[in-house]
Amino acid sequence: MINTVNLVKIYQNGGVPVPAVRGVDLRVERGEFVAIMGPSGSGKSTLVHMLGGLDVRTSGEIWLDGKRADTLGESAWALLRRQKIGFVFQFFNLVTNMTVADNVELPALLAGASPREARERREHLLGALGLTGRADAAPAQLAGGEQQRVALARALANRPSLLLADEPTGNLDSRNTRDVLGLLGEVHRDGQTIVLVTHDARVASLADRVVSLLDGQIVDDGAVRAPRRRPRGTAGDVVELRG
Amino acid sequence: MSTVRASARWIRADLRARRGQALLTVLAVAGIVTALITSATLLEDGTNPWRALFAQTRGAHVWIHTKEAPDVAALSRLPGVEQVAGPYRTAPVTLALGGKKSPVALRGTAAEPPRVAAPLVREGRWLRPDDTGGVVVERSFAEALSLRIGEPFTVTALNGASHPLIVVGLADSADQGFYPEWTPGLAWTLPETLTRIEPAPGRSESVTGLRLADGEETLPAVHGAVTLLDEQIQRMSTWREVRASMELDNRLLGLLLALFGTAGLVAAALAIANATGGRVLTQTRDIATLKSLGYTRGQVFALLVAEHGALGLLGIVLGLVCGRLVTTFALDGLPILPLSPVPLLAITGGTAAVVLAAVALPAWRGGRTPPIPSAPAAPPRGHLSRLARLALLVRLPPALVLGTRDAFTRRTPAVLSIVGLAVPMMMITIGLGCWATLDDFLRHPERVGQAAALTVHPGRLPAEDAARIAGADPDVLAVYPGSEVSALEPEQTRSVLARALGTSGEPYPFSVVEGRMFSARGEAVAGQGLLDLLGAEIGDRVRMTVGGTPLIVHIVGRVVEPDHDGEVLSLGMDSLAAKDAVPPQFYGLVLKEGADPAAVRARLLTASGEALEVRRTVNPAERLVVIRLVIVALTVVLALLALANLLTASALGLRDHALDLAVLKAMGLTPRQVAATLVTGTGLLVVLGVVAGTVAGASVVAGLIDLQGHTSGVGAGIGRTPSAPVLATAAGTVIGAALLVALIPARRAARAQVPVTAR
Repeated sequence: MINTVNLVKIYQNGGVPVPAVRGVDLRVERGEFVAIMGPSGSGKSTLVHMLGGLDVRTSGEIWLDGKRADTLGESAWALLRRQKIGFVFQFFNLVTNMTVADNVELPALLAGASPREARERREHLLGALGLTGRADAAPAQLAGGEQQRVALARALANRPSLLLADEPTGNLDSRNTRDVLGLLGEVHRDGQTIVLVTHDARVASLADRVVSLLDGQIVDDGAVRAPRRRPRGTAGDVVELRG
Repeated sequence: MSTVRASARWIRADLRARRGQALLTVLAVAGIVTALITSATLLEDGTNPWRALFAQTRGAHVWIHTKEAPDVAALSRLPGVEQVAGPYRTAPVTLALGGKKSPVALRGTAAEPPRVAAPLVREGRWLRPDDTGGVVVERSFAEALSLRIGEPFTVTALNGASHPLIVVGLADSADQGFYPEWTPGLAWTLPETLTRIEPAPGRSESVTGLRLADGEETLPAVHGAVTLLDEQIQRMSTWREVRASMELDNRLLGLLLALFGTAGLVAAALAIANATGGRVLTQTRDIATLKSLGYTRGQVFALLVAEHGALGLLGIVLGLVCGRLVTTFALDGLPILPLSPVPLLAITGGTAAVVLAAVALPAWRGGRTPPIPSAPAAPPRGHLSRLARLALLVRLPPALVLGTRDAFTRRTPAVLSIVGLAVPMMMITIGLGCWATLDDFLRHPERVGQAAALTVHPGRLPAEDAARIAGADPDVLAVYPGSEVSALEPEQTRSVLARALGTSGEPYPFSVVEGRMFSARGEAVAGQGLLDLLGAEIGDRVRMTVGGTPLIVHIVGRVVEPDHDGEVLSLGMDSLAAKDAVPPQFYGLVLKEGADPAAVRARLLTASGEALEVRRTVNPAERLVVIRLVIVALTVVLALLALANLLTASALGLRDHALDLAVLKAMGLTPRQVAATLVTGTGLLVVLGVVAGTVAGASVVAGLIDLQGHTSGVGAGIGRTPSAPVLATAAGTVIGAALLVALIPARRAARAQVPVTAR
C-alpha cells in the first residue's frame, strides 16, 4: 500500500537546516491500522504530511499502490489526494463558511460525483456518524467532537484507500476522543487502511501496529496486542513488547 | 466540470458569509462604470450636440443650395441617397431688432413637418396652414437675439419692403450650425408667406437636403450632385461642417473627466485588489483545507478569480444599466443620445480588464497557499515599528501605542490601504481645485482677461456719443475703446484675431501672467495659443499684417486668453492704422465692484433709447456648469471606494489581532481600550492616506489645470488650489467618517468573547 524508502525532510530555518525526518523506511499494508507515536518535534506530523503530499520530501522515495509518488508535482498530488487519500486534522479544518452537508459533499463533488451521488453518500456517512440532524448547521455551531466526526465523514466521502489522521483527538475531551476512536476502529474493521499520528499512548493502543519516532527516526516498530486481554502489565511484558 | 460544482458551492457559501463586502464591491465598480459612461456620454454630447440633433431630426447629410429647384427624382437616384428633403425656397431677408440688423435665411416650409430634416420644436409650436404671419426661429439664433414666442419678427426683403411677422415657435435643427458661428440665422415660414415677402424668384435660392444610407460616404453623393446640377449649385455643405461648427471647446471638461475616470478606475482596482487580498489572507486556512482535499493551485486560482471577478463583472453590468438610466432619466431634457458603441465597449472592456487584473494577483497568491492547514497564517510579529516606538516615547495611552503597532503588522496591505485611500482623496482634492477655479472665474473675471463685464457697440449712434453715454453711468468705472481686426501671421496662411482695447498709455486691464503689459506703440501681448502658433516667445518681434497694414509687433507679455483658443493678439488702439481705430468698433466697460451688469445694461439701453447694442461677456465658467455635477457624482463614487478599502483594512486588522485581543483583555485592558486599539490601527492608516492624498492633490491641482490651460491655448495662470479651510474641512470629514465606520466593528469585537485557541 505505502512504502517509503529512506525518506528525509530538512526544513530551512533562516538558512540553518533543521532535519525533521531522517531516513524513514516505513511499509504499510492494505487494511492495516498504523499509529505513529512520538513526542513533540519528533517529525511524525511531517512524515504523515509527506505521505499525503501536503509537504515535499527533501530526499527519499514514496510509493503508493505500487506507483512512485514522491516525484509527482503539486497538481498531480492534488489529484491523487482527491481519489485515494482522506485527511483528518487536529483542528478539524472544516470550511467555516460552508454547512456540514456542503463540507462532506465537497470532496465527492471534486472527485466528479454527481450532486445526487454526493448527497446520498453524505446522508449515509452522517447517518453512520450520528450527525443526520446537524447537516444544515455551520461548523462553528458544533461541539469539538461533532466537528471532528464531520471531518471524518468528509475524509471518508470518496472511499479513500488511505486515511491519514494527524492528531485527530488532540483537541478533544476524553469522551469525544473515545467516540472518534470508536469510529476509526469501525472503519478500520471495514477494511480501511489508516495511518494515525498521536502522542497519546491510549490512542495508539487502538492500532494494529505502533511506529515510534524520535528525532525523525523510527526507534520502534511493532504490532500491538490488545491490552485488554492482559489484566495487569509487568516489567516482563514491556520487555516482551519491545522484543 | 467536477471542480465547477464544488467551486460553485464554495463561492455560494463564501458570498453568503460576506454579503455586505460583496455588495460594496459590486456598488463601487457599478459606480465607476456609471460615472465613466455618464461622463463619456456628456462629453460626447457636450462637445457634439450635433449627434443628438441629427438623430432626433433625422437630418440630411448633404445640403445643396441651387438657384432654382433641382430635379428631386434625379437627386434621389444618386449613389447612397436614401431620402431627399425639400427643395425649399429660401430668401435672404434682414431682421431689424433693437437697432441691430441681422441677416436671416427665411425658408418656406409646409405646415406639415417634413419626414427628413424636420426642425425639432423646443418652444411654442410648428407652423399651421393659416399661420400666414407666423415664423419659427432656429433656437440658437433666437437666443442670441433674445427672441421669445409671440414677439414681433419684422423682416425687410431685398426690395426694401418691411413685413411684420410673429414668432410662433423656436426649433432646433441640424441643417446648419449654431448662430453666430454660422450665419445667416435660420427661420421657417409657410411658402405662401415667403412668396408674399419675396415675390421675385431670382432673388431667392432653393435648398435641398440629401439623407444618405451611410453618412461616412458623402463623396459619391456630392460628386453626383455636382455633375447633375453643375452651374446651378451656389454652395454645398455636409454634416461634417455642421458638426465642426457646433463643437464647443470642452477640452477642460474632457481632461477632467478622463482624469477622474482613470483615477477612479485605479482606485477601484486598488480597492478590489485590497478586498480580494484581504479576503484571501483571512481565508488562508480554508484555502489550505481545499488544497488538502485535492484542489490544485490552478483550480484555487480559478476559483478565487471566478468569485471576486464575478462581483466586478456584476458591478460592470449594473453600472451599464445605471449609466443608461442616468443618461436617459437624470439628464432628461438635454438633447442626449445613448453612448455610441465604441466608447461603451472601451469602458466595459477596460473596466473588466482592470477588475480581472486586480483580482488575479491576490488570487495567484491564494493559489500558492501551502496545503498544510495547520501552518499559521498569523502576521509576522516582532519589533515595534518606529512609529510605535515614537508613540511609546511620547507616552501616549497604551491603546494608542498598541494601535500604532498594529497598523503596520502587515506592510503590503497597510501600504495598499494607505494608497487606496490616498488616491480617492487626491481626486477629491483635485475636484475641489476645479471647483475653486470655476468659482474664481466667476468671482474674478478680470483674472481670466474678462475685466469688462459689458461691451457696447455704438449701433446707430456716433461712437463718441456711445462712449459718453457709457461713461456717464454711475456704475461704470472705465470705458476702453476697442476694435477687432484680423491679423495674418508671418507665413500668411492663417488669420488670427487682433484685438485692440485701450491705448498704450491707458491699456485695458488684461490679465498679464508673464512679461509685462504693452506700453508703447507696436507693443502687444498675446495668448498662449498665439505664442504656440507663431512659435514665438515673449520679447520677440513678429512681422504681422494687422487689418491689412504691415506691422512689426513686439510681444512683451502673455495674457490669460479664454477666447479663440488663445490665438488672439491684444494691443493698444494707437498701434492700429487710423482706418481701423477711428472710430472704435466697440467699447469695453469695466464696472465698479458689486455692480450688476444686467442693471447697467438696462440703464444704458434706456439712456440711448435702445440705440446702443450692449452685450454681456459670457464667463467661461458658465459654460462649464456640468463640471460641478460631475465632481459631485464622482466624489460619491470615490467615497464608496475609500469605504471599501477602509472595511478591508478594518477586517484584516481584526483578523490579525483577534488572538492578541484575548491577551490584551487578560492583561486588563477594558473593552473601550480594546476598541480604541483597533480604531487606532485602522485610523492611523486612514489619517496617513487622507493627508497624503490631500497634499498630493493640492500640490498637483493648480499645475494640472494650468497644464490644461496651456494646451487649450488659454495659458497657464488660471489654476487655483482649494483654500486651506476647505481642504481641512474635507480631510476632517473623511477622517471623522472613517473613524466612525471603523468604530462599529471594533466595538463589536471588543465586546465579543475572543477564542483563545485557533478555532
